[in-house]
Amino acid sequence: MKGLLLAICFASGVFAQQAVPSYKDLKYPPLRQVKIPEPASFTLSNGMRVFLLEDHELPLVHGLAMIHTGNLFDPPDKKGLSEFTAQVLRSGGTKSKTGDQIDEELENMAASVESAMDETSASMSFSALKENSDTVLSVFKDVLTAPEFRQDKLDLAITQTRSAIARRNDDANAIPDREMMRIVYGPTTPYGWQVEYEDLNHIHREDLVQFYRRYYFPKNIMLAVYGDFKIPEMKEKLEKLFADWTVQQPDVPKFPEVSAKPAPGIYFAEKADVTQTFFAIGELGGTLREKDYAALQVAANILGQGFSSRLMSQIRTKLGYAYDISAQWAANWDHPGTFRIGGSTKSQSTTETLQAIRVELDKMRSTEVTARELDEAKEGVLNSFVFFFDSPAKTLNRVMRYEYFGYPKDFLFQYQKAISAVTRADVLRVAKERFLPENLAIVAVGNPKEFGKPLSTLGKVNVIDLTISEPKSETVKSDAASLEGGRALLERAQQAMGGADKIAAVKDYSQSADMTMDPSAGGMKIKQQNRWVAPSAFRQDQDLPIGKIIAYTDGKSGWLSLPQGVMPMPPPVLKQAQGEIFREWFSLVLSDRDRSRTVNAAGPNAVEISTAEGERVRVEFDERTGLPIRQIYKETAMGGPPSEVKETYSDWREVDGIKLPFKVLIEQNGKKSGEAAVSEIKLNTGIKAEELSKRPEPAKK
Amino acid sequence: MRVRLLALLLPSLLCAQSLQDFEKKVTEFTLSNGMRFLIIERHEAPVVSFHTYANVGSVDDPSGESGIAHMFEHMAFKGTPTIGTKNWPKEKAALDHIEAVYDKLDAEKRKSFRSDPKKIEAIGAELKDAIATADSFVEENEYDRIVESNGGVGMNAGTGEDSTNYYYSFPQNRMELWFLLESERFLHPVFREFYKERDVVREERRMRVESSPQGKLVEALLATAFEAHPYRVMPGGWASDIDNFRMPEAELFYKKYYTPGNITIGIAGDVNPAEAKRLAEKYFARLPKAPLPPVVRTVEPKQEGEKRVAVETPAQPFLAIGYKRPSQYSSDNAALDVLSDILSGGRTGLIYKELVRDKKIALGAGSQDTFPSGKYPSLFLFFVIPSSGHSIEENEKALYAIIEHVKKDKVDDATIARVRMKLRAALIRKLDSNSGLASELCAYSVNFGDWRKLFTELEEFNKVTSDDVLRVAKTYLIENTRTIAYTQAPAEGGAK
Repeated sequence: MKGLLLAICFASGVFAQQAVPSYKDLKYPPLRQVKIPEPASFTLSNGMRVFLLEDHELPLVHGLAMIHTGNLFDPPDKKGLSEFTAQVLRSGGTKSKTGDQIDEELENMAASVESAMDETSASMSFSALKENSDTVLSVFKDVLTAPEFRQDKLDLAITQTRSAIARRNDDANAIPDREMMRIVYGPTTPYGWQVEYEDLNHIHREDLVQFYRRYYFPKNIMLAVYGDFKIPEMKEKLEKLFADWTVQQPDVPKFPEVSAKPAPGIYFAEKADVTQTFFAIGELGGTLREKDYAALQVAANILGQGFSSRLMSQIRTKLGYAYDISAQWAANWDHPGTFRIGGSTKSQSTTETLQAIRVELDKMRSTEVTARELDEAKEGVLNSFVFFFDSPAKTLNRVMRYEYFGYPKDFLFQYQKAISAVTRADVLRVAKERFLPENLAIVAVGNPKEFGKPLSTLGKVNVIDLTISEPKSETVKSDAASLEGGRALLERAQQAMGGADKIAAVKDYSQSADMTMDPSAGGMKIKQQNRWVAPSAFRQDQDLPIGKIIAYTDGKSGWLSLPQGVMPMPPPVLKQAQGEIFREWFSLVLSDRDRSRTVNAAGPNAVEISTAEGERVRVEFDERTGLPIRQIYKETAMGGPPSEVKETYSDWREVDGIKLPFKVLIEQNGKKSGEAAVSEIKLNTGIKAEELSKRPEPAKK
Repeated sequence: MRVRLLALLLPSLLCAQSLQDFEKKVTEFTLSNGMRFLIIERHEAPVVSFHTYANVGSVDDPSGESGIAHMFEHMAFKGTPTIGTKNWPKEKAALDHIEAVYDKLDAEKRKSFRSDPKKIEAIGAELKDAIATADSFVEENEYDRIVESNGGVGMNAGTGEDSTNYYYSFPQNRMELWFLLESERFLHPVFREFYKERDVVREERRMRVESSPQGKLVEALLATAFEAHPYRVMPGGWASDIDNFRMPEAELFYKKYYTPGNITIGIAGDVNPAEAKRLAEKYFARLPKAPLPPVVRTVEPKQEGEKRVAVETPAQPFLAIGYKRPSQYSSDNAALDVLSDILSGGRTGLIYKELVRDKKIALGAGSQDTFPSGKYPSLFLFFVIPSSGHSIEENEKALYAIIEHVKKDKVDDATIARVRMKLRAALIRKLDSNSGLASELCAYSVNFGDWRKLFTELEEFNKVTSDDVLRVAKTYLIENTRTIAYTQAPAEGGAK
């Protein structure tokens, strides 16, 4: 009986637990044939290329336009211009609607229209439920063809970018890759430079309009639409929709060539508030077009792609030095990309990790990879090949991209073949030829106080200065024509105000005003009296809720009287006061008579006035009246980043035959900060500078 | 009037319709050991996405072992007695030896003041040797290599507060391989290279939390807002807990929580449900039935007043404010979701419009209706990245003004209609990716008992009125239960 029972148990055990094969014994059926959809492609009568693909799985319609431009076309003194153009193209609205109205309209339909800028292309996309796809398409067209670039949204974009620049070193993880790219491509080339505060001062609405006009035209655009529609109907729709957009422009020039020379070395930036060192190691790589692309891809994969790569095995699994570590042959379509290795490790193991990476790199260059490594790397690519075709969007995107960059239609299959053909000898050869340790820029960011071995164990360390550069005092282009134009504009302003002689006769003034700070800036109301005696004595008396504040300066020094007492004017306040004196009305509009000042035209209705000492202001004139209605200048508040101040003047009234503004709107970094209403201006009161300089008597007990 | 009514009805009609269509594509079955499967057919391309949703997360970490759920997630890639070894019997003995030595080390350390540093050093060296011996039997990363060389893409895993997720996609013909690998790793995982991986996990914490200003801020916010409930610790755990993990602790955790009844699997793509069921029986029925693990018993006590916490960092400022809210099972859940969308959805959200677009005092700002997760009472979160030159205080004030506004005035019908539209479209957009579907259906099935909630939830959203929104804003966005966390520059001369 026992035996029988045992046998039954045994049998049922076997039955319940079917034998499970080893993974090595699994047999795989051939993969079902992939249906690769063929997009319809044609050219609209206005020259725009179109690709269409039906996909009826869900009631959605999507579109993606590629515009042949890129941030490589940014002018060196207006870096970021292309990005601002793409952003404000969407946010700044169209002739008929503001950007905010478009936001609302689209979101009411749960739809989107977006615009973006890349290095070598710009894009505009939309996504809509089928039920609203016609409306969304017309919004898409409106944004693409009739953008208005409203100033307020450019101001917003500039404010945002200024904040982003201020924050760019906060996340240590983001620094090494950025700095490595700058070093590899050269920090002064379009491939390597970055947007600085300074650039923001040079970018004006007109620049965006010009950039848009130059690059956004039908012949320069490819549009792919995919989703739940019928191709013939969509074709007709698009023909009709874009029929009236016929602007033309000359062909877009080629992108600049990559011109960088290798700048190998160890580069280090200190960040005290991290426990890890983040690193990026890189050198110039290649394009997808070159014949060794497949072999390089396989070599880089074996070295550092995926969980089973050598770097992962060695540095993460065996040494436990890193969570994140990878190598990549990052090829580009049309210009050399990079070969790069990146990751992070605890501060203590910084140097050891970099050394271990070097060992792996040298192994790749000195010994053939094993047959198993090669097979697995190739199989990884070939077996996952089907994922290139798992959505119509991917297919359409690829077809468009091949045409955009001039690749053969069957490029992907050529690549597949090339991967199959890669040998161990190929991998060794390309590693030797292209993974060049002597060219590598090694960028590390971390806290050196916690390093185990110092970084200098590896060689000479170049320190990267992460300080964000303050805007230099910019200069508009200065030549005979701009000087002439500047004088003409000032003369017109002098005329409009009542004549140069009358202005020159003003030797002092006294002005009373009520300043209201914007609620966002505290909402305070301040009574002011401003007095000036030519050439450079200035005194401001202010009544604040906290008490009286008086400031006086003769342009070289001065004092401040606060409720707490009197003190010498601190340097930042003096600097600010000197700016005020420089921009005093009567001397400012007569700047063409002052040898220490340079006046250049900075646009059809603007001049820039500057001194050798670094004072600078942009004055804009009313096109109709010629009056100087705006001053734009930079000011550095105590300890803060420099801000751009914009004063706009209105309510012009005549005082002793001279037109002067009685209302001033003050904005800082594109945001209203206060408003002043002038109640009285008296000219030539006869007061002397000595009287202005009198300090208030100390309060008696 | 009639037109309006129709428009209101339209979304729910459409949702019922899409559910009916969708239901035809879903096959659901449960093995006798309790493991649940959701199969979603999408035959557009010969690929399949797999998602394993384990109903266990960092809330289940035992005291002193914060981060152990995450640690096990890492161990799930280390292989089995047949995958990842050169010689299993020898490796097994070596692994056991490591633990014996480590026990000795711990025993000596527990003597506290009386422990002998020399002994500790000696045992430490012994431990190092033991680990080296065990490592010599390891076939490195074999599990990963099998997946990757067979064309697996998107392989990864993640540990959250309430769940742990494992996922990747294969070409359709490798389906059986997935069944084999996935069942093996949950049937008999081998915790090899445990102490090296512990270092890796520690590095992950350094990267995500210690070296990131936002990471530090969130850690402080949670630790302050929650006093008792495990949501107070981030899934990564505390550094010192990680540094002292022992392998048997992770093993115990696995045995307790990775029972078949606690695991749900989503498979989406070019899959034949009958074939999937056959393979599920063949491979996963091997997991022995076991009782369901315990649930968290600690309930967060009522918060009795506003809390503030500052994190010093030289980085530019961040602000995060969390208000206590009930769990995802509250009848107010849908209204809170709608409220969050009104506050911060897209470019029409009130917070974006006010702080970013019009006042320009923030570079970015928004809200999240449930944070850090939803199974237990959590936070309704606001976050603000101030613009350069604008302070935390200024932004905090402006944010409160918006909150007061939604507590005082009802939103208009157009806003409600817009949010409904957006939620419906968001659902449709979720349906076009295998990996997204596999994960969403698992999450809804585990969290709400039925994957259909993904669709029926829309009806709940459609029932939310402006009165409901006003009511939940008034009920939950109150000073008494809020926690404010912000970063600030270190004081002069202070710590760097």
